[in-house]
Amino acid sequence: MIATLGRYDWDPVVTFSSGESDVIQRLSQYCRHLQWPTMTFTVPVGAAPALAEGPQARSGFQNFWRRFRRDYVGIICLGFLALLVVAATIGAPLVAALTGHGDTQQFANGISTSGFPIPPWSHALTATDAQDPNGPFFVLGTDRLGRDVLVRLLYGARISLLVALTATAGALMIGVPLGLCAGYFGGKLDMVIGRAIETAMAFPSMLFAIGLAAVIGPGLLNVIFVIALFSWYYPARMVRSAVLALKSQPFIEAAVSVGSGHRKIMVRHLLPQLTAPLIVYATGIIAANVLFEAGLSFLGLGVPLPTPSWGQMLSDGVADGLYRIAPWAAVVPGIALVLTTLALNQLGDSLRDALAPRGRG
Amino acid sequence: MLSPHAVGADVRRFIGRRLFTAAIQVLIVTMIAYLLFFVISTLTGANPAQRVAGRAATAEQVARVAHQLGLDRPWYSQYWHFLAGVVRGDFGYSFQQRLPVSEILFPAASVTASLVVGAAILWLIIAIPVGLVGALRPRSVWDRLSAVAVQVAISAPVFWVAPMLAYLLAYQPSQGKLFGFSIPPVTIFPIQGYTPPTQSISGWATSLMLPWLALAVGFAAFYARFVRAFTLEQLHEEYVLVARAKGASTSRILRSHVAPIIAPAIITLLGLDVGAMLGGALFVEVTFGLPGLGYTAFSAIQNLDYPLTIGVITFAALMAVLANTIADVAQAALDPRVRIAGGSGNRAGGRPR
Repeated sequence: MIATLGRYDWDPVVTFSSGESDVIQRLSQYCRHLQWPTMTFTVPVGAAPALAEGPQARSGFQNFWRRFRRDYVGIICLGFLALLVVAATIGAPLVAALTGHGDTQQFANGISTSGFPIPPWSHALTATDAQDPNGPFFVLGTDRLGRDVLVRLLYGARISLLVALTATAGALMIGVPLGLCAGYFGGKLDMVIGRAIETAMAFPSMLFAIGLAAVIGPGLLNVIFVIALFSWYYPARMVRSAVLALKSQPFIEAAVSVGSGHRKIMVRHLLPQLTAPLIVYATGIIAANVLFEAGLSFLGLGVPLPTPSWGQMLSDGVADGLYRIAPWAAVVPGIALVLTTLALNQLGDSLRDALAPRGRG
Repeated sequence: MLSPHAVGADVRRFIGRRLFTAAIQVLIVTMIAYLLFFVISTLTGANPAQRVAGRAATAEQVARVAHQLGLDRPWYSQYWHFLAGVVRGDFGYSFQQRLPVSEILFPAASVTASLVVGAAILWLIIAIPVGLVGALRPRSVWDRLSAVAVQVAISAPVFWVAPMLAYLLAYQPSQGKLFGFSIPPVTIFPIQGYTPPTQSISGWATSLMLPWLALAVGFAAFYARFVRAFTLEQLHEEYVLVARAKGASTSRILRSHVAPIIAPAIITLLGLDVGAMLGGALFVEVTFGLPGLGYTAFSAIQNLDYPLTIGVITFAALMAVLANTIADVAQAALDPRVRIAGGSGNRAGGRPR
């Protein structure tokens, strides 16, 4: 009977004779007292009843969750992102209904007589530029066309999340099979795909992306296509090198020896090994793609006007130096972008720590 | 162990193979850039010949212009013509500005070069000390603070950092405010615009100060993270342990053992990041109104000036491929441990954009 205690492989391995089940019970209590997260017991079948109330084997997800939930920074990031999704899906129409402001609605009394936007937390203006307590109230102020910044921010979150998530999914759908095939089959195929990845990484991707975006024109699907086209090579490269390392492992040899086909080995044996690093990687790519979309929108090559998106709100606030008289027009979408990207990046780091506690995911 | 002679031969073979790869990359990059142009002229119905000839031109005039531009030939023939031009330094003729693209390209490239090189120096000055402190005192207060700063700086897009810097460090001081404090109104940095160094060196430096800073922030964070991780890894190597056992001080270990390994790595990283730098420079140039490559490409796209767009993109891609190649070759020459068999792709930084 062997009991492995503690978090890591190098933590103590204790061997007991089968008559010592009471010792194990006391040990398990002690472990719970110490709050050691993992404890596995290899127990002969005959001794199982003695452990009926003892620790049970945990699934990979349970192990991950026990580690992740102690990482309060990761939990905060996850909470923020969950809040953002709720704000984008339910919050946007809700706030629009509560305030009665549409995302593209322009308020004539939402800009001063000299054409300046209204600062945050103030009412619309009267003809003499005084605040009108009966007029509409703008929590985050207005932009240069007298539109409600808060409502646009919430609707803009939809575009940011939608584009970043679908483009990342697209990038994974291109990159993972390519990397898998390149790493698994090797040889000429690997050379071609490897060279393609290197060449794609050498591209000044932003310049090519704006060229392509300009050629195929603005539009939701076009933006997603452009972003996916310029981010597939990150997962491809990671999967390729991971598969190269996994290929010579005994479990692949075993799968080959029992006659598994290439497809079965790749999908059933290699791919599950890659889930953890892929989740971590995808989180980072989503963060990068949020900024990518914002960058394209900033240059006027994103989702067409007047649909609000963060990058386009930012460019609107920066154009002609509007941010000098109305800083909130640039600060609000900018902070939304930074917080979202920050939460995603940090979540990626926390996930990596929780999924692969010995570093190197 | 390989004999020194064998290593030299390996490095030479590696360099030869790397140059071959670079040539293929140049072909692919220029072809894709040109195909973009070709796709525009045929699929989307925007006829470049019509744009050159003008709105009032007759069909016959348009056809003549198309013939002059070679647009009536098949795409591979056009591409070959374009490639032959690029080799001679001829990138075509701008519709909008009525100038050869190369005459617009090279002044713009010098602006971008001064932006990128200055910013690179700045971010290395920031990143190396920050990364070293983190590596020498991991989990210390400074390390944790710098880790937070790095994470925030990586997440802040350059097109937000740039206007914020312009607001806080250029506009507000000119209005007598600095971070909320009242100061006498000063104008140190212009909010926008570029002063050529031929006009005034100090004016050039002050006009580029904020752009340098804006571009450097994000990269400094990546490089600080890289320097920290790399140094930390090296400090756990056995050769460092041996040096410590012999009584070498930490600064001596850093200077004579770690530095010779990390310097080529940073040079390689810089070479690999040229593409990302050009992308970042685009936003800085657009925000600060600097007439560099990115700004030129952006306004060319807005004006539907296809030859100029393709010219800038091709030129930028060539620069990136060239820098990648130089970086790999330099790494092979400087660091004998470089993996000859693996070729390039030993990028250790995060995701560039």
